[in-house]
Amino acid sequence: MNMSPKEFDVIILGGGITGAGTQRDCAMRGLRTLLIERSDIATGATGRNHGLLHSGARYAVGDNESAEECIRENRILRRIASHCIEETEGLFITLPEDDLGYQKTFVDACQRAGIDAEIIDPALARRLEPSVNPALIGAVKVPDGSVDPFRLCAANMLDAKLHGGQVRLHTEVTGIIREGDTVRGVHTLNRQTGRTEDFYAPVIVNAGGIWGQHIAEMAGVSVGMFPAKGALLIFAHRVNNLVINRCRKPSNADILVPGDTVCIIGTTSTRIPFEECDHVAVTPDEVDLLITEGAKLAPALSSTRILRAYAGVRPLVSADDDPSGRNISRGIVCLDHELRDGVKGFVTITGGKLMTYRLMAEMATDTVCRKLGIDKACETATTPLPGSEERSYEAVASKIWESPSTAQKAATARMGTGASRIRSGNRLDDALVCECEEVSVGEINNAIDRLDATTLVDLRRRTRVGMGTCQGEFCACRAAGLLAQAHGCIEREREDLRQFLQERWKGNFPIGWGDTLREAEYTQWIYKHVLGL
Amino acid sequence: MRFDTVIIGGGLAGLVAGISLQKEGRSTAIVSTGQNALHFFSGSFESLEQAPERMKDLFGEAGIRLHYSPGWRLMPMGSFREAALSLEDVSLLPEKHFADKTLIVGLPGYLDFFSGFLADGLEREGIPCSLRTLQLQEMQALQQGPGEMRSVAIARLMDRLWEKVVQELRVLLKDEDAVILPQVFGLRDASIPDRIRQGIPARVIFAGTMPPSIPGIRTQMQLKRRFEVLGGTYLAGDEVVDAHQHEGVVHSVVTRNLDSHYLEAAHFILASGGFYSKGLKSNPFEVTEPVFGLDVDYTQERSGWYAPQFSDDQPYLQFGVRTDEGLHALREGAPLQNLYAIGSILGGTRPEFGSGAGLAVRSAFAAVDQILENRV
Repeated sequence: MNMSPKEFDVIILGGGITGAGTQRDCAMRGLRTLLIERSDIATGATGRNHGLLHSGARYAVGDNESAEECIRENRILRRIASHCIEETEGLFITLPEDDLGYQKTFVDACQRAGIDAEIIDPALARRLEPSVNPALIGAVKVPDGSVDPFRLCAANMLDAKLHGGQVRLHTEVTGIIREGDTVRGVHTLNRQTGRTEDFYAPVIVNAGGIWGQHIAEMAGVSVGMFPAKGALLIFAHRVNNLVINRCRKPSNADILVPGDTVCIIGTTSTRIPFEECDHVAVTPDEVDLLITEGAKLAPALSSTRILRAYAGVRPLVSADDDPSGRNISRGIVCLDHELRDGVKGFVTITGGKLMTYRLMAEMATDTVCRKLGIDKACETATTPLPGSEERSYEAVASKIWESPSTAQKAATARMGTGASRIRSGNRLDDALVCECEEVSVGEINNAIDRLDATTLVDLRRRTRVGMGTCQGEFCACRAAGLLAQAHGCIEREREDLRQFLQERWKGNFPIGWGDTLREAEYTQWIYKHVLGL
Repeated sequence: MRFDTVIIGGGLAGLVAGISLQKEGRSTAIVSTGQNALHFFSGSFESLEQAPERMKDLFGEAGIRLHYSPGWRLMPMGSFREAALSLEDVSLLPEKHFADKTLIVGLPGYLDFFSGFLADGLEREGIPCSLRTLQLQEMQALQQGPGEMRSVAIARLMDRLWEKVVQELRVLLKDEDAVILPQVFGLRDASIPDRIRQGIPARVIFAGTMPPSIPGIRTQMQLKRRFEVLGGTYLAGDEVVDAHQHEGVVHSVVTRNLDSHYLEAAHFILASGGFYSKGLKSNPFEVTEPVFGLDVDYTQERSGWYAPQFSDDQPYLQFGVRTDEGLHALREGAPLQNLYAIGSILGGTRPEFGSGAGLAVRSAFAAVDQILENRV
């Protein structure tokens, strides 16, 4: 059957992990898919969390169902997304001010949920994780890990594209086309080019996270979201190698997650008005709290340079019969609006967590398939993502290059088997753009060509360019040159560079003292006085 | 060890003060951590419309040629900025439309020179550009290392290869009346940029690159050499970590390398720079001056340190040590009689001296005059 290029089987709104996962699942089941994202991949809650590969232990006591989901998905992701994951293991520590009696409740609940939780001697915990607060009086080891949400999101989207899916980033849905009680398509506006386009499909999936409330409104249905802000800090060194949690009821700033070259402490939790979702800022009080509480997990944090402060908005869903928002579900919410509201062709998938994105995608795709009358089983739990066909990045690097350089190994750790796509072997492609994270020209061009990166911030999410200690001071200009070559518009790139610096400053000034302030002064000088941006 | 004056900081302010004092026969030591703002100097002296005569003399005697012709300079990202007093490397253009056609020449694999941005900036002024890269056999070894194509490594090579570059440029040049090159010439020998200009039948403009700045490094080396030729003691790679002071007078300072061999002096000059150079330190609660514990002028509330927009003027850049009229640094409200603060450690506390290079040079001369007038 020939279809117009503007017609699809399903359109997915939202380029976070839920949308990307749903697109992959739909595409693998043979559907013609289009994903529309108003900004870049993983710009909402997906990219604004700890990057913790939950074992589920955190939820075991309070929410056994979520804990069970987490540990199941944890095991699946280790198989299908190995290049996005570090199998670090994690600790739940009890400090002298905590109740050691809670440890037993915690371990029992973990075991009920099927999580391997093992009580270990505090002395062993100190050996396994030298950065841990030496005053600890109890420790439990759990199968936590860390996950790079940007990579995970990009890999899902790449696989969707390999299965024929299409992706439109930086494209905003300006309206939903509805005929009577049926949703038919969307009006869109490309925010970079100003082009408007309409797309049509018999089913539209709302995977907009916290912004899903607005998308639902456009479709004429109501999905009440409950925006809760969480603030986090990124430290410039990887202080810990194991995830460190507090063994007590979940509270503020009680998880420290190592990831790549850094570690992340978080979070806080504050309800914010819906209008603030697009402009969440980290306050000095939140910063102080995160440092004070973080230093209780790993005392070295109090003297470690902080790279960035950032905040995300959890897409919590208010229960239907609870307009006050008190009865909040942290579980997955999949709404077929035909059954719920009598609006045909519209599905909302929300709630949930980064950890359970694949399960959310499966539920959403099952709903889509049911509506389209397609009977095909989900295979995402067993089929590796592109890049994760093999588990050891060092083995992969040795297959691609005879004697891989550190930069090539770093690229393989980021891209898995996808690193074989990086043009390399000649000195121009191997030249380093980012020295902090060892990102080459070839890897930047790969992200532009194959991973839909169109701006410097997009590149940062896909390659870690600008995520290191200099925070893009040197590499931003170099990468801007490559982007300008790719899209051929210097003025757009100059503006992009300004926005990159502003985005960087937004994360820097809440923690602007010490070395961060030194770096900021240097950057001010270079960009204003030396380069003349 | 005893000197007439000990200067903390070997940047523009410290070197100008050191040379001036040493020239007057005052035995002077400069303690330098090795890094300073000259290493990312644009080549134009900010807030110095006209060089004071003594500055021209001082630079001339150090072999540094300045030129003063208010006009436009082409910035690395393709914009034009007004500039006046500059190093000779910097071309000051009478008007933005300075050529009918330009040739922009980059180096293959060199990502720190922004040919595309420059071309865009020139084309906005109606100047068509052709872009070429210059491949030299001798550069290949450098290009093998993925992180080697940076300004200093290239400039070292160009100290040897510049004549070959001139030959190649003569071939590349067609009907263009201006050539734009990355500022990677003349690291050791200040005469090279001018000799390149003379060798090419078109206007040659050196456009800046990502730091380190080649003319800046050279200028720093020339000033340092001048200071040493005059008999000054330059302690490179050392850092002042403590000071001995008693009843408003500084007696000696302690450095990391010299340890118990204190540096004693009749006068001390603090030219240790702003935050980047660690002249000022900050933590979440305060901004401090780490060596003498001087009074720092800053906003108490941390949220007042920053403007949320990166491009706006940032309040923290105005923070600086407090001084009296004669640049004596204040501690607990009282001036230290023989300690002068100069250069960017003053932040915005002494606006009459200007900012950037202007602040460095003017405050250095002001402190020198005090020292030469008053013997303690």
